[in-house]
Amino acid sequence: MLEFLFKYPPTVFRKGDFVFSSGWPVWLLALLVIAAGAGLWWHVQRHHGRLEGRRPWAIWALEFAAVALILFLVWQPAIGIRSLRSQQNVVSVLLDTSRSMALGEGEQTRLDQARAALQSGVLEQLEERFRVRLYSFSGQIDRLAALDQAPPPGNATRIGEAVAGVLRESVALPLGAVVVISDGSDNIGGFDRRVMAEIRQSNVPIHTVGVGRTEMPEDTELSDVVVAPRALPNSRLNSQITIRHSGLEQKETRLSVRDGSKILASKPITLRRGEPVQTEFVDFSAGEPGIRNLQFVLEPLPGERIAGNNSQSRVVDVPRKRRRILYIEGEPRWDYKFIRRAVDHDPSVQLVTMLRTSPNKFYRQGVDHPEELEDGFPVKAEELFAFDALLIGSIEAAFFTPEQQEMILEFVNRRGGTLLMMGGRRGLGDGGWGASRVAEVLPAALPEGEAHTFVREKVPVELTVQGADSLVCRFDEDPEKNAALWKEMPALADYQTIGELKPAAVHLLDFRLRDEARPLLVLQNYGRGRGMILATGGTWRWQMGLPHDDTRHHTFWQQLLRSLVANSPGTVTISSDQTLYADRSDLELRAEVRTKDYQPANNATVTAVLTPETGDPVTVELTPSAEEPGVYASNLTAALPGAYRVEVSAFVGDTALGSEAFHFRRQDGVAEDFRPAQNRELLTKLSEQTGGRYWTLDELAGLPEEIRFSEAGVTAREIMDLWDMPFFFLLLLGLRTAEWLLRRRWGVV
Amino acid sequence: MLGGRYTRKLILAVVCALIVVSGLEALQWGRRGGRGRRSIEAFTDPNEKAEFFFTRLLYGGGRGWRGGWRGGWGTDYPDAEYHFMQGVRRLTLLDAGASGKVLRPLDEGLFDCPWVYAVEVGGWYLDEQEAERLREYLLRGGFLVVDDFHGTYEWAGFMQTMRMVFPERPVVEIAEDDAILHVLYNLDQRIQVPGIQYVRSGRTYEEDGYTPHWRAILDDDGRVMVAINFNMDLGDAWEHADTPQYPENMTALAYRFGVNYIVYAMTH
Repeated sequence: MLEFLFKYPPTVFRKGDFVFSSGWPVWLLALLVIAAGAGLWWHVQRHHGRLEGRRPWAIWALEFAAVALILFLVWQPAIGIRSLRSQQNVVSVLLDTSRSMALGEGEQTRLDQARAALQSGVLEQLEERFRVRLYSFSGQIDRLAALDQAPPPGNATRIGEAVAGVLRESVALPLGAVVVISDGSDNIGGFDRRVMAEIRQSNVPIHTVGVGRTEMPEDTELSDVVVAPRALPNSRLNSQITIRHSGLEQKETRLSVRDGSKILASKPITLRRGEPVQTEFVDFSAGEPGIRNLQFVLEPLPGERIAGNNSQSRVVDVPRKRRRILYIEGEPRWDYKFIRRAVDHDPSVQLVTMLRTSPNKFYRQGVDHPEELEDGFPVKAEELFAFDALLIGSIEAAFFTPEQQEMILEFVNRRGGTLLMMGGRRGLGDGGWGASRVAEVLPAALPEGEAHTFVREKVPVELTVQGADSLVCRFDEDPEKNAALWKEMPALADYQTIGELKPAAVHLLDFRLRDEARPLLVLQNYGRGRGMILATGGTWRWQMGLPHDDTRHHTFWQQLLRSLVANSPGTVTISSDQTLYADRSDLELRAEVRTKDYQPANNATVTAVLTPETGDPVTVELTPSAEEPGVYASNLTAALPGAYRVEVSAFVGDTALGSEAFHFRRQDGVAEDFRPAQNRELLTKLSEQTGGRYWTLDELAGLPEEIRFSEAGVTAREIMDLWDMPFFFLLLLGLRTAEWLLRRRWGVV
Repeated sequence: MLGGRYTRKLILAVVCALIVVSGLEALQWGRRGGRGRRSIEAFTDPNEKAEFFFTRLLYGGGRGWRGGWRGGWGTDYPDAEYHFMQGVRRLTLLDAGASGKVLRPLDEGLFDCPWVYAVEVGGWYLDEQEAERLREYLLRGGFLVVDDFHGTYEWAGFMQTMRMVFPERPVVEIAEDDAILHVLYNLDQRIQVPGIQYVRSGRTYEEDGYTPHWRAILDDDGRVMVAINFNMDLGDAWEHADTPQYPENMTALAYRFGVNYIVYAMTH
């Protein structure tokens, strides 16, 4: 209808320039319009007869609009636009032949529907005007001689790479446009900003044709799992699971985490109404050291169309290495003893402690050898930075030299360690820490001055909203039970008031002082690490105040100490784009290498050894990044499906800086089960950003005509008249009819 | 016959006098301690705040006269802790209370004091509920020091009650290299610390307790839960720190043992 009224498709108006083809000056048109308006006004004034009030104005407005429109049309308005020259341009048609295109919808598959739409005259019309090159794509691109020669369904879809590949291949050709016929299920990544920029740079409009339903009937999908790739032995791991569902609202199913045949965690799930994408959290124990091949499974419901998208696997490495925490305490305290006891048997944490028993004497526990820390608190960065976290108890800031204080700040900022400061009569504000360099790291301001902030008075503890979500404060998976367990906790033996929390601070626990909640456990990120405050030295009452077989005190401290070191980076840290490569063989590996004092290492030799489950290891040297100091990168290829281990080692000369291992899994034949509904959003975005248009199969007949309005390829400027647009004639007719009807109503015909 | 009647009257008079004297003594029991220098109220201060308090276990039983009529638990009280805690405050950075606490096994406050001292345990008595409570206290992380009992008879008396607390846990000799003997002071010399009777008799031992023993009951991780000073008397050494006749080196040694027990209890 719109095309009938306006004669041309919207693209013409969007891309073309407005011109008058009569060649007469526009100022003359304006002058004539003004003159006509004045003349008509004079006429209406003199011959308005029985018309009064605003009625003569209405008659004048309608007559003036009609005359102005006629004058406008006399000047011959037109659109000037560039269009592709016939038979001198190439149009590439890309047909998605991935497995998701084989899904049946009605009696035909998506691929059949696409073929039928092209064969209904569209392809023929395209071939009449352009040289058409046909391609099929899934994980790779293939040139097709004919439409019915499509290869067998592929296991993955890489739309971005397919389009970019065709553009690269056609760089020497007069490519006028690209047509992508797909369900938009780009399921193995790669359609990132870089690829999009490459496509846009070509200036070739991409027209996308969406195939398939935009919503799958009666299906649940476990879309994504976010879980740390590394964990400490026996620590709690939190996984974030994204579930998509349609047509199954309010149905109940079950989410479980398995390691082989062993179920690590399981919880019932209700598919919430009005929330087609819902997020769930499941906690589980990382278990003993080793590699965990975890399977996250959403139990399929009766009648589900695709069962293959109900599970995902992830690899979690639980290394045997114990993380080291240095705890310096300025006086004998009960908390010291009970903290040590809490992690005595923890295989993931080694608590090295220095207790100042008398003014000149330190008692050391948990040291690796008798000489360790014999000379007191470290004075060299590499000695302190060998620890992953630092606890400072009731010891005054003045005990540390200015250099040591600066080193503590850098321990957090540069090394990426965590600093936990505890309350005490020589701790926090009372220890003069508020005026020290270290105060910058802490998540709250510390009061300065004479008044004592440390008070030996029993106060109850409270779980905050953030605390309820934190693994540090988790006694039970059930939030209500967890809250109840916290309510039963015996009062703390003492507390210390701290100042205002910093903007990025999060407080997990409060203590209640009379009717006011005050922050107890607070944390914030600082630099590469974190600063924390525990404003008490009296958690020992949780142990002495509860039955001896109640583990809450120990659990809290184990979880807190593990959280301090869980993300502590080593001298070599590896990252990759993913931990599960579904139907993908390429892996982008990035390593950040630092010296022993955690300065970026720019002159290191960094190698990665890629070891597959079966087969020979491959060694690759990583190249230094030009932009980021200490960063090295490389692309690796996981040729076959299965589990892989990547170990990155860094050396400067013969000196080893460190090494780090990373595990991932390549899994084939699963990508096409995910996001099977048409991804219209992606297809629309691709076409809009390149000057093309999104088409449905029903609209496809208009494609051959519209595709020619492109500035890519070999083009010519075309002038397209607008004066004979039906819209203008209808408008003119409407104006005159309206005047006649008004005159008739007012009795002046 | 007459002589017999006078004799009976004399015995009756003596018995009555003893009853009156002991009644008066009993009335003082809660207020007077040791040699009557300080009362419980004078030495305990509920308003004082500190990380550590010398806590004395008030138990039933005892050998009567040795601890005064209030029972064996009060032997050396409060001079022993009064002197000893001054030393602790001077020798360590521990925030130790100037006052002390006296608590029964069933007092809830016991769990706020993870270090407790029991004296004259050769004749101590705990009922089942008290023994159960003491076991729970120790398993949660509390620490018990027992002191001033001597010889075979008193050992048997101690063990009889201790078996109610821990029927299954053995008593072991503390090894030379155990941390409890080195945590602050290296206590390589095992010397019998005598009671005040040494000043009169010149003997370091009492009863048939010729050889001193540093024994312990351990928890499941091999840490000392109960430190047993058998055939010695640290309490007297602390109490008589200001007695000119009592050997100074014995008091110094007793202080070191006591400090080590406290620091060990706060580190292990």
